[in-house]
Amino acid sequence: MARSFNQKLEQQQAPAFFARGPSAFARLVFFSALSLALMATDSRLQYLVNLRQSLEAALHPLQLLANTPAQIYRDTNEYFSTHDHLLSENKQLKQLTLKQNITLQRLNTLTLENNHLRQLLDANEAMEESSVLGEIMHVGRDPFTKKIIVNRGETDGIIAGEAVVDATGVIGQVTRINPLSSEVTLITDKSLAIPIQVERNGLRAIAFGHGRDNTLDLPYLPTNVDIRRGDTLVTSGIDGVYPAGLAVATVMHIEITPDSPFARIVCVPTGGVENHKQVLLVSIPHVETSAKKAVINTPKTIVVPSLPASVIAKPAQDLHEKPALKTPEKVPAIKADKAVEKSLDKMPLNNTSAPHAPE
Amino acid sequence: MHPSNLKSVYVSLILAFICLLLPWSGVVLQARPDFLLLVIIFWLIRAPNLCNIGTAWFVGLFADLATGGTFGQYALAYTVTAFFAVIYQRRLVLFNGTQQLFYVFLLLITAQIILLILKTFAGALSLGWAYFLPSITGVLLWKIAMIFGLNTGGRSRAR
Repeated sequence: MARSFNQKLEQQQAPAFFARGPSAFARLVFFSALSLALMATDSRLQYLVNLRQSLEAALHPLQLLANTPAQIYRDTNEYFSTHDHLLSENKQLKQLTLKQNITLQRLNTLTLENNHLRQLLDANEAMEESSVLGEIMHVGRDPFTKKIIVNRGETDGIIAGEAVVDATGVIGQVTRINPLSSEVTLITDKSLAIPIQVERNGLRAIAFGHGRDNTLDLPYLPTNVDIRRGDTLVTSGIDGVYPAGLAVATVMHIEITPDSPFARIVCVPTGGVENHKQVLLVSIPHVETSAKKAVINTPKTIVVPSLPASVIAKPAQDLHEKPALKTPEKVPAIKADKAVEKSLDKMPLNNTSAPHAPE
Repeated sequence: MHPSNLKSVYVSLILAFICLLLPWSGVVLQARPDFLLLVIIFWLIRAPNLCNIGTAWFVGLFADLATGGTFGQYALAYTVTAFFAVIYQRRLVLFNGTQQLFYVFLLLITAQIILLILKTFAGALSLGWAYFLPSITGVLLWKIAMIFGLNTGGRSRAR
């Protein structure tokens, strides 16, 4: 009797007059408590990681379905791209390949030379990292965190913590792994810091993301720090996560205020997420236990004996030309460092290159 | 007017979820309306016997999963919002279009404010006024749905 009455009410699209089940307030309290418990568990304990992973895996087909319209749009665009456009792109790419080939040839000789020098110094050889090519599936769904989702996951051997780079520089780090995809936090996110080195003078620092805009900060550097506008920042590699020497950012703006002991240095990342679809996920370099030993064993003075004779001879020549120099005992050391760099660059041309005074 | 049954509730929720999963980016991502919450509010007003606070909580969990945040954030926000929708449900049915629109806007803002508080606790930064853009686009979406003849409860009373 009561049931049929209820059904009639439902058909009339009117709410049931008598509330069934627990009251709204009781439900509110119950589910709020449940949410709070979940939040505490998820943020402090690691119990929910597996649950999240399996749920994400279950949602993956739905995700692919959601990505389909955009994919179809892109494919159609590609299909209908004009002949001229393809030709010009092809030409551009060919030129780029040519340029890169030349650089690559130089790199090969430099790598060989570097390895040889490292052997001479009894140091470990620089490691080559393997990498996996991934494609950006979509930008993170929270517009206020800088994250992207890449279509490589646990099944492709990705580990949390790997560096993610594109053609122009580091863009971020893998922070969460799902079976078929992984979440990459960009270097511009507030929660990410990346150890860097100024390419020009080797100064080490840590760059922090901003979160709000597409810039990086170099905090806690004194006002007299030797960083200039336009300096390139590369990864230092001392963190053991990012391979050394990858471009990170360019210094855009330096601000020194008299009321702060620190300079405010703003940098722009060189890698772009908006511009590219493909990224490389670079595996974490293996930390070898013998690396430490090798560094300790390396004699500090070895630099000087391994120099070519012509290089060592140069300071004297230099002094001869510039009598104003008052500290002759310091000159060879400084000169030697520069000379090593030079000799690496162009070995046979050393005698002809004009030496410049270390002032 | 087709009768509201459980199947249509779930189908609409899944559609809303797929809308959430679409690869949005840039400004559109910032202004993206909260599809899931809109659908939940719609069903809470239209068929409170089929969709209640528990449903809102469960859907919130999926929103948490999709956004990649801490589990429970969206769940809590949806729960509280659903509570306010449920206790005023009978009045909402009596409201005319504009009044209902305003109330839906308040509900959307409520959810966003709760999320903002939770995010602030979790250490997020100040987000600026653009943070409340989804509420505005959400209300616009609601209005568009009304124009296209979706029965949001207000008009069924007038018949």
